[in-house]
Amino acid sequence: MTDEGWSIPQQSLTRASPHRLGGSTHQDIVRAWLFAAGLVGLCGTVLYGPAALKTLLLGMVSEVVTEAGVALATRRQIGERLGRGALIGLLLGLTLPATVPGYVTVVGSVISILVGRVVFGGFLNPALTGRVIVQFLFAGHLSLSGALAVSPVLALGHQLVGDITRGGMVQDYQGWFDTRAPIGKAALLLERPVQALRRFAQDGVAADGDLHYTPLLRDVLPPWQDTLFGVVPGGIGETPTLMLIVAGLYLIYRGYLRWQLPAVVLASAAVAASILPVQLGGTYHWFPVLAVEQGHAVGLAYVLYHLTAGQLMLGAFLLAGDVTASPIRVHGQLVFAVGIGVLTIFMRLYGVLSGECYWSILIMNALVGTIDRWMKRPVLGMGDVGLKGI
Amino acid sequence: MAILSNILGPRKGFDGGLFLPSHKSRTARRPIETLPVDGPLRVPLTVRRDLGTAVVVEVGQRVLAGERLSRSIGQEAVPVHAPTSGRIVGLDRAWTPQDGYLPCAALEPDGRDEAVPQRFGWEDESFIVQLAEKGVICPRPWQPLHVVIKQAVAAGVTDLIVNAMETEPYLTADLRTLIEEPGRIIDTTCELADALGVSRAVVAVPYRHRAVVKRMQAEAVGRHIEIAALPDAYPQCHPVLLVKSLLEREVAPGGSVMDEGAVVLPLGAVRGAARALLDDRAVTHALLTVAGDAVERAGIYRVAVGTPMRRLARRVGLVSPVSAAVCGGPLTGLALGNEEAVVTAEATALLLFSTAHRPVPSSCIRCGWCIEDCPVGLDPPALMQLESRSQCSTAERHYLDACIDCGLCSHVCPTQLPLAETIRRTRLRFGGRPSCNSDAEP
Repeated sequence: MTDEGWSIPQQSLTRASPHRLGGSTHQDIVRAWLFAAGLVGLCGTVLYGPAALKTLLLGMVSEVVTEAGVALATRRQIGERLGRGALIGLLLGLTLPATVPGYVTVVGSVISILVGRVVFGGFLNPALTGRVIVQFLFAGHLSLSGALAVSPVLALGHQLVGDITRGGMVQDYQGWFDTRAPIGKAALLLERPVQALRRFAQDGVAADGDLHYTPLLRDVLPPWQDTLFGVVPGGIGETPTLMLIVAGLYLIYRGYLRWQLPAVVLASAAVAASILPVQLGGTYHWFPVLAVEQGHAVGLAYVLYHLTAGQLMLGAFLLAGDVTASPIRVHGQLVFAVGIGVLTIFMRLYGVLSGECYWSILIMNALVGTIDRWMKRPVLGMGDVGLKGI
Repeated sequence: MAILSNILGPRKGFDGGLFLPSHKSRTARRPIETLPVDGPLRVPLTVRRDLGTAVVVEVGQRVLAGERLSRSIGQEAVPVHAPTSGRIVGLDRAWTPQDGYLPCAALEPDGRDEAVPQRFGWEDESFIVQLAEKGVICPRPWQPLHVVIKQAVAAGVTDLIVNAMETEPYLTADLRTLIEEPGRIIDTTCELADALGVSRAVVAVPYRHRAVVKRMQAEAVGRHIEIAALPDAYPQCHPVLLVKSLLEREVAPGGSVMDEGAVVLPLGAVRGAARALLDDRAVTHALLTVAGDAVERAGIYRVAVGTPMRRLARRVGLVSPVSAAVCGGPLTGLALGNEEAVVTAEATALLLFSTAHRPVPSSCIRCGWCIEDCPVGLDPPALMQLESRSQCSTAERHYLDACIDCGLCSHVCPTQLPLAETIRRTRLRFGGRPSCNSDAEP
């Protein structure tokens, strides 16, 4: 029974309606994305060892320093930009293999801020802008056009501490969990599954009699569960499929990612991989999903590998849904997602550039403005006139 | 499928909007409580500055509860009545949240609360006169109810919508009214529908409160009244969106719902009409939701008009110092900027918060949340650009007029840009109508 608290602020200090704000600030969004990307980075560190941690930290630190430098040069506030800088650095690190030298990461970070953020204003995903530019600058380290190269992954028992660069070839590869004979090395050298799929689609895997898909699945690709846990060669954050799904579900739960976006990216990629033809024995075979060899649904397995082999999950859950570089409305995001899924599979099957998912996300980012204009909502009570917008 | 639709509820009738955290559980369970008058009142002598009234009492005169303090000048104004019996000790001015300082009568209650006798012979007078005599007002549009009815009849409306949606957080006065007196609301809606001559009368009720919906449907059996259960996404309570959801008609920017043949009455007006028509009582009390995290005993209170807000706050108890005081809902209400503010008849809520939201805007990150949630499909950041312009085209004026001042864009903006405030200010500068929420014109 007191009114001592009743000294309400004077009119000049009160704000106009609305008096209560939603509470989700852009720092919250960045923090949630940092947490999700951090989960994947943690998983990558376990799989690829201290080299991966070094790459991720280097990416974050150099990005934050560049961001601070830009903020100082343009006389803007530094504080709120650092979190976003760290997020871009972390995402950039996730797209790089753990074996890249430190200067590649640093150059990529500087480029992603200067080109992605300052020049393009974040309309193209900054982390991916940096990634594709260093892919050209350091083609030797990042396999610009995916020559038949092998990449390392830590051997069983060497997680978290192994040296990723001390790799060794294994004869008679039975999958990561079945490498019984110790190879005496910390890492295994294997072909990237994505690269194997591309080689297969371009008639690069020798047929075994009538069997076309079986040699690919049996001899070339790692077992499918390896691609789920991420113990296949690739970028730090490209391969841990299960952890990427967990991170994506967290973002969806927080409301910063629409479930439709990753779902449609994956669904359209699956449909594209099911339909688009592969070159086998000199002829193009449409609808690879329907292939059956020796009573096994090998076509279905081929499509599943496309989804989990790497890059696509990272792109769908962490890179495509960037709040600035994705369409505003759900309808627009569906178009955007279909574009990413189909382009990724198309470039993977018939293209030469590696990092096809990143390229397709950037291509679709460039179309976001068009998609948004196309998907504009009519203003209530203005009919078609309301569609023109300001 | 029937089970699924029973769980999920009806589809939202408009694009955009947002299901806000309701904060209603504290107040929704407590019955409405009438606060006895325990101190001097400062009763404003008119409900709106431009509705002329003349004082009919003298200093020192004793008045009964329900006795006239002022009479109306002209057709549009309504008289004001004394909330309790007592002595007029002075004629002064009182600060109201809606209209600033208004002339008031200082009333010293004698504690006996003697009322003027009820009279049930009003049928020989006209319905409209009874509403005008008893001072029934319609909070949105901010007009006396009889004026709204006259305008609606002149516009030839065909649909009556009674708005009990109350989708703003914290507000529960309408919900409690539906729980406690559904029959009176239905009866009065029938009377109003007869007076308006409409072919269809709808009571819009939030679907979330299914028990209330069922009770209302039971009351409305055989009464030519439709109970429409709508999802309570904010701002479904806005008349323009009710017309869109229930009648599939779109009100042109800057227009009124009457242009589309509909009249939307807030439940507060129906409540006042019920009191005037069924009890022959004048509108002397306001039904206020008093809530917020600084309030100790949050609830719905029937408070005499003219009670200082300060005393009301003392009655409900404060648990922490007040940093933000709002008269009305948290998204559309008016900030209380004067410690001497008094309760007015059209007030709906007093919200007292221990924290004030003082946003620190940064640059737009183009997340598109405001565009996605805007109930009328505007692009608030683009409209905000008009602020720095010296003139705007007709099309741009239409966009500004299409804004319904729901405040969602500012509410959701992660960079805390003052979108809604800037759009409102720009619209006023370019000669558009003032804010919807304190709108003088329907």
